[in-house]
Amino acid sequence: MMTDVVAPVARLSARGLTRHFTTRVPGRILAAKRVTRAVEDVSLDLVAGRVTAVVGESGSGKSVLARMLARIVTPTSGELFLEGNAIALRARRTLDYAAQVQLVLQDPFASMNPVHPVRHSLERPLLIHGAHKAEVDELARSVLARVALDPPDRFLDRYPHELSGGQLQRVSIARALCVQPSVLLADEPISMLDVSVRLGILNLLKGLADHERLAILYITHDIASARYLADETIVMYAGQVVERSPGTVLIDEPAHPYTQLLIASVPDPSGAARVDRGAGESRPFVRAEEGCAFALRCPHATSRCRHECPPAFVIGEGHVSRCWLHADQAPASSDLATPGRQREGEATKT
Amino acid sequence: MKTLRLPRSPKVLLGLGIVGFFIIMTVVGPWLAPDNPSSTAFPALLGPSAHHWLGTTSLGQDIFSQLLVGARATMVVALVAGLVATLLSMVIGVSAGYLGGVSDDGLSLLSNVFLAIPGLPLLIVIDSYLPVTSRSNEFVIGLIISLTGWAWGARVLRAQTMSLRNRDFVEAARIIGESRRRIMFTEIAPNLLPVLASSLLFTVLYSIGAYVTLAYIGLTSTAVWNWGTMLYWAQANNAPLSNEWYWFVPPGTCIALVGTGLALLNFGIDEFINPRLRAGGLSSRQRRSLGLPRRTRLGLTPVLRPRAPRGAPRRNVVSS
Amino acid sequence: MSTSRVDVGDRLERHGATPARESTPSARAFVLEVSDLSVHYGVDANMVRAVHDVTLNVRRSTVLGVAGESGSGKSTLVYALTRLLRAPGVISGGQAILNVSSPDDPTQVTPVNLTTASERELRRVRWSHVSIVLQSALNALNPVRRIGREFDEVLRTHRRSLSRSDRRRRAAELLALVGLEPDRLDRFPHELSGGQRQRTMIALALALDPELVVMDEPTTALDVVTQREIITELAELRSRFGFAMIFITHDLSLLVELADEIVVMYAGSIVERANAGELYAAPRHPYTLGLLESFPPLHGERRELTGIAGSPPDLAAESVGCSFAPRCPFAMDRCRAESPPLAPLGDTGRSVACWLHTEHSVVPVPAPLARRWTVPSGPAAPGVSR
Repeated sequence: MMTDVVAPVARLSARGLTRHFTTRVPGRILAAKRVTRAVEDVSLDLVAGRVTAVVGESGSGKSVLARMLARIVTPTSGELFLEGNAIALRARRTLDYAAQVQLVLQDPFASMNPVHPVRHSLERPLLIHGAHKAEVDELARSVLARVALDPPDRFLDRYPHELSGGQLQRVSIARALCVQPSVLLADEPISMLDVSVRLGILNLLKGLADHERLAILYITHDIASARYLADETIVMYAGQVVERSPGTVLIDEPAHPYTQLLIASVPDPSGAARVDRGAGESRPFVRAEEGCAFALRCPHATSRCRHECPPAFVIGEGHVSRCWLHADQAPASSDLATPGRQREGEATKT
Repeated sequence: MKTLRLPRSPKVLLGLGIVGFFIIMTVVGPWLAPDNPSSTAFPALLGPSAHHWLGTTSLGQDIFSQLLVGARATMVVALVAGLVATLLSMVIGVSAGYLGGVSDDGLSLLSNVFLAIPGLPLLIVIDSYLPVTSRSNEFVIGLIISLTGWAWGARVLRAQTMSLRNRDFVEAARIIGESRRRIMFTEIAPNLLPVLASSLLFTVLYSIGAYVTLAYIGLTSTAVWNWGTMLYWAQANNAPLSNEWYWFVPPGTCIALVGTGLALLNFGIDEFINPRLRAGGLSSRQRRSLGLPRRTRLGLTPVLRPRAPRGAPRRNVVSS
Repeated sequence: MSTSRVDVGDRLERHGATPARESTPSARAFVLEVSDLSVHYGVDANMVRAVHDVTLNVRRSTVLGVAGESGSGKSTLVYALTRLLRAPGVISGGQAILNVSSPDDPTQVTPVNLTTASERELRRVRWSHVSIVLQSALNALNPVRRIGREFDEVLRTHRRSLSRSDRRRRAAELLALVGLEPDRLDRFPHELSGGQRQRTMIALALALDPELVVMDEPTTALDVVTQREIITELAELRSRFGFAMIFITHDLSLLVELADEIVVMYAGSIVERANAGELYAAPRHPYTLGLLESFPPLHGERRELTGIAGSPPDLAAESVGCSFAPRCPFAMDRCRAESPPLAPLGDTGRSVACWLHTEHSVVPVPAPLARRWTVPSGPAAPGVSR
């Protein structure tokens, strides 16, 4: 993280993004409302040419985070900066923002309108964002070529049901690229795809970051695929960032018990040693009212975990973990969720 | 566009035939009519004959000519009313379903009010305030009928839209910055096409009924011939009681036939919506030629045994 | 109709009366024997050959993994052999024999030919002897029924002697087996998480203590943590109850961990069959190698992987030669002309359908398909059962 001092300005930065959903408790008409804390105080920087991976299981709030970054969901609180400029979150999302930040959805089959051919999916974003009618055909072809759907003629007039999942996900990425975004958010882009075509999509994303300097947010529940791509890795649990590190440090040396659980869950035929796994009924949505959110599933949980929410502890260069296990070994840094302040802290230290 | 599939089901073909026949009648009927339907030049109350295929009225008008001429007004009103009502229900239903919130509350209230008010009395009230010149105008009548016929379709479309609005492809359209109007009418509405078509058929059917009823109780201009006015005159002259069946049975039959035709066509839409009906496994002819049981049983994959000798015991067991 | 009932009854009785004669060694060893099974969709000119000439055996109390990408025919195969595939799917050849062992004496085995069985016979063996867990538990559970009702129905149909309270108790036991609290019985499917629904399906499948459980991508819709929990539980349940399992998935690395034997399917045919550990340590078919190379590893250096180029073949199109040839990095002229049969690979006990491995091949086997990638780590490799 030392390079951050001279690092380019992040394309898209989030500070303390939070989203609560209020639902009525079924069965009770009066008063009783339940607040679901989908995302709690998350900060991150998406930098040109880098892939930031967010890892977590379903219900961890990672999809809501992506939708807040795309401004499809309005945050309850927090700030967004696009190229350093603060975004008015209460205002309506502008076309300008859509032209900068694009989101690719998880299910390629559902994210294409079944009644329109591929051409429609590509020409609409082009037309909305100011392309001339005369040039859209050529632009659509070139964008298909960028996502390696060759020859474009074979795909332009196809309907979604005529294409395979992998091809559809490429079309979906092509649709996002049509508006020439500088930030691409990908919400589990490979989880619905066959194993044999997953690598193709991952390599495509990597190529977009390496060669076209896009800032990419890659959301996944499969930590192995994050390891393949990531320049920064963030692990989320119950809406909170529990561990983050530059590169894939946290995958090679996981510090937080939840990260260890994620890693142990990946099918690993090489049969490398596994850490202890929490047993019993899974409780992905259970979030303790007080204390650490993961305490109920954590094999190392102590009474302190159940009563006090751990702050972030710096356990390596840019590597932070929100777990009491590291309380004695590492100095508590400023809050994990605000990398800006954390950087200042480090700067004063040096 | 997708390749157009010709319907194969005999029901749908029959429906197409009937509706097609009456549409042709609408277009060419008035030219084919042998006589002026209003001309009283003939003897009164002739039975069907070679000269007057369906006989004459008590005023000596040719009933066959009335039937042919009357088809146009009836069908035009029905089509205008059906199209306008379907358009109204689409705009209101899709907007209510997609926009949600206050817009939904308001539009739902409106359609509920129109659903709750009995259509026919409302029609009669509106119609009786119309100037007489408008009563002879098919388009005005059609518009008025559509006003009472859109609410049901709007409710169905609202429900369908609500199930579509959270689908990923709608979200994807929002992400690229598509406007709300375009999302509603180019992304969502095309997916509702089967529902829209079905709703069109039924509003056309409803409109025929409403128009004929209005005419039958004498609220449309009697100067315009349609099947309802024929019934009105037949009733006014006691035709049913004096056994002059050739006066009221033909228009009644035509109305019933158009209705049947439209209902049969609706089966075709069903086949179109429901992919399981469309790819309905093997046709009965295919089954027969393969020696498979005619009726499919749930969860029993057919097994082809081309080499099995005819009348083998296994065949007996399966096909019985 | 009445005559046919008698007919079926007779057949059942005959099976019951002379089981000893039928208990060949192979029938005792294998719970399911499938030979040359072919499945088509449609019967006219537009027919699609989804599965051709598949032969496989499932040994008692073992896990057979079926791997392949979508469109490889893996799901069609198991739906067809359990006769659950709907028309226009048609079994066009071959047979599948389920060797049903009697509950009193496991050595007494009655073969049931699933491809010729009547509806009545099928109803008798389904669920009691062979049960199925499908990919989407949400679609398989009736949304307006409480979970308990599903259990009650199964037990009432197949275990007539149980009283209402017995059934309830048994249902709670079954849920406990898969780590769910008994209060889940009073819930509706939408009140459970995806993982809990899939556990419920597994508990339902085990309700009648079957000999064979077919799992069609049961964990594909779940995230890795839940997948891991379910896989672990399945392994425990299997060691406890000793049922055999066919596990279908596109995730070969999962199969390597879970299965004893693996068949890899491509375009409707089996291209490689081997012991799980062996398949992982020494893949011999280029497609298997490609599948294994498609997983970003958790350990070791980060390097660029390429996976398998191209896309799966269109089964409706008539093809000549090996169906994998267009995507195969090692394809030769022969591959494009002739389709390789599934042949034994030396005396290793495994088979592969690839011209590179024929005995008289003049072309040397490419290095990646000849070497061992890892040394099997002894007892850690779960597949070494023979």
